[in-house]
Amino acid sequence: MSGLLYKNFRINRSSLIFALIIQVLCCAVILLVCFFQGGKPFEEEGANTAVFIFSLLYFLGSWLPAMATSEIFRTDEGKTACSFAMSLPAGAKGHVESKYYFILIENIIILFIGFITDTLTFAMTGGTVSMTIFIMFVFCWRMMISSVEIPFMIRFGSQRGMSIKGAVVGIILMLGWLWFLFGDIWFILDSEDPIAAFMEFMQSGDIAFWLSLFPYVSIIMYYLSCRISVKLYRKGAETYEQ
Amino acid sequence: MNSDKKLTARRLLIFLAVAFVPFYIIIPVMWAYFGEPIFASENETVMIATSVVGVFGMMIPSFANLITRLVTKEGFGSSYLGLNCKGKMGYYIASVLVPLGYSVLSVLVMWALYMGGMSFSDAFEPLGMQNTGLFLMQLAFSVIVFFPAFGEEWGWRGYMMPKLMELMPKPAAVIAGGVIWGLWHAPLTVAGHNFGVDYPGYPFVGIGLMCVMCTVLNAFLTLITEKTKSVYPAAFCHAVNNNLGFGVLFSGLGTEKAQEKMTEMSGVSTILPYIAILGAVGIASFVLLVRDKDKKEAARQKEAA
Repeated sequence: MSGLLYKNFRINRSSLIFALIIQVLCCAVILLVCFFQGGKPFEEEGANTAVFIFSLLYFLGSWLPAMATSEIFRTDEGKTACSFAMSLPAGAKGHVESKYYFILIENIIILFIGFITDTLTFAMTGGTVSMTIFIMFVFCWRMMISSVEIPFMIRFGSQRGMSIKGAVVGIILMLGWLWFLFGDIWFILDSEDPIAAFMEFMQSGDIAFWLSLFPYVSIIMYYLSCRISVKLYRKGAETYEQ
Repeated sequence: MNSDKKLTARRLLIFLAVAFVPFYIIIPVMWAYFGEPIFASENETVMIATSVVGVFGMMIPSFANLITRLVTKEGFGSSYLGLNCKGKMGYYIASVLVPLGYSVLSVLVMWALYMGGMSFSDAFEPLGMQNTGLFLMQLAFSVIVFFPAFGEEWGWRGYMMPKLMELMPKPAAVIAGGVIWGLWHAPLTVAGHNFGVDYPGYPFVGIGLMCVMCTVLNAFLTLITEKTKSVYPAAFCHAVNNNLGFGVLFSGLGTEKAQEKMTEMSGVSTILPYIAILGAVGIASFVLLVRDKDKKEAARQKEAA
């Protein structure tokens, strides 16, 4: 397994570096904002705006690298590469699992950079801004999206896999939009500080329970996705071009 | 002492020097700067500073591991960084369930011992959907706490313990490792971490208790690390232990009345039930570790015969 992992790191070096640069840049912007704040705590309204902007940056830092996931699979898409992978002692299982481990490690490194930034931000803003839970949710969200897209990439190739991921994200966004249009969100719209009202809503009542299930669901989905992908790999390999 | 053991001892000393020095300098400097025991302070700025020092400080042992391997040209063989979960999943599951179990049990024992006739429903909030959600969220939060926990574990269990076990028998290594780990916490304990500063016998009783706590926890952590030959189960256990320890559970689930009663007591007496239960886990782990060695020796003798 370590050999296959090493191979993945060698082949996907550029996409990994790209992911890290994006995350480091986003985190650097966050730290710069806090630095120019002069080490003073944010006022309540300022803190809410900072939370909103920082969440966008953390999301961007984690989301842009996800665009490169297809590259991890494209490099090995071909009958020769697949035959070689299946002839190795670890077989198709090891080959597919190594890709999952690679993506997991990449996400963990991104999470770690976010965590360090958040700890520093917390100190620099006098404890008024902490995004740790949000960073964890972004990590889980990426795991969940990966667990949906990878089996399709393995079965139908990276191009179609990307399209399916796009469709899944589109559906989720559409559901969010529908909720925004027709949902019971008067408490956000009527509020003087909509961001604060939204934050309060997320932390209150039964929604905390359903939100708390999200990390567990994403981990289970990632594991199941890996099992499914191992099963699909042989069929997918038959459809790859030479 | 043969040359191999001498080399191991030298590496261990370098590791310990790199691991110990930062805390023994930073904490007194911060104490002098803020003018009070920093971990017992109620000043918000000091509290923030201590939380940041705590997070980065926990990564020092990993840093020491890295530095020692590079300086002594040891390389990264047997670095305990592999997952090795095949056939060892039980240990991974235990690494989350055992700390959860002893924390919950400690809270219950604390209620039975210290709540003086307060009924369960008076002492604890009802476990509705929201509280369950908060509990699950806190557990999931261990993913983040994993980083600092890994920072400690890769140093103590991933470097110090294997070296100690090379130098001395397993039982002695577990005790020595626990005491060293406890003494590493000494500057924090003196500055009020875990027990505060207002207890009889301060700070020596606190340092002693920390050494006892670290020794019993070390037995369990060493057991799961040695069984899996991986440092991750120990890091998971440490993360859950820190993130959902009995103190966090009590402050999350205890009613205001119960928490007021706890605040009236000294930090040392509230932690005693926790140490007792942790002690039972430690003794069981200790026995399993030693028995494992006996089994291996018996198998070796049988093979030789």
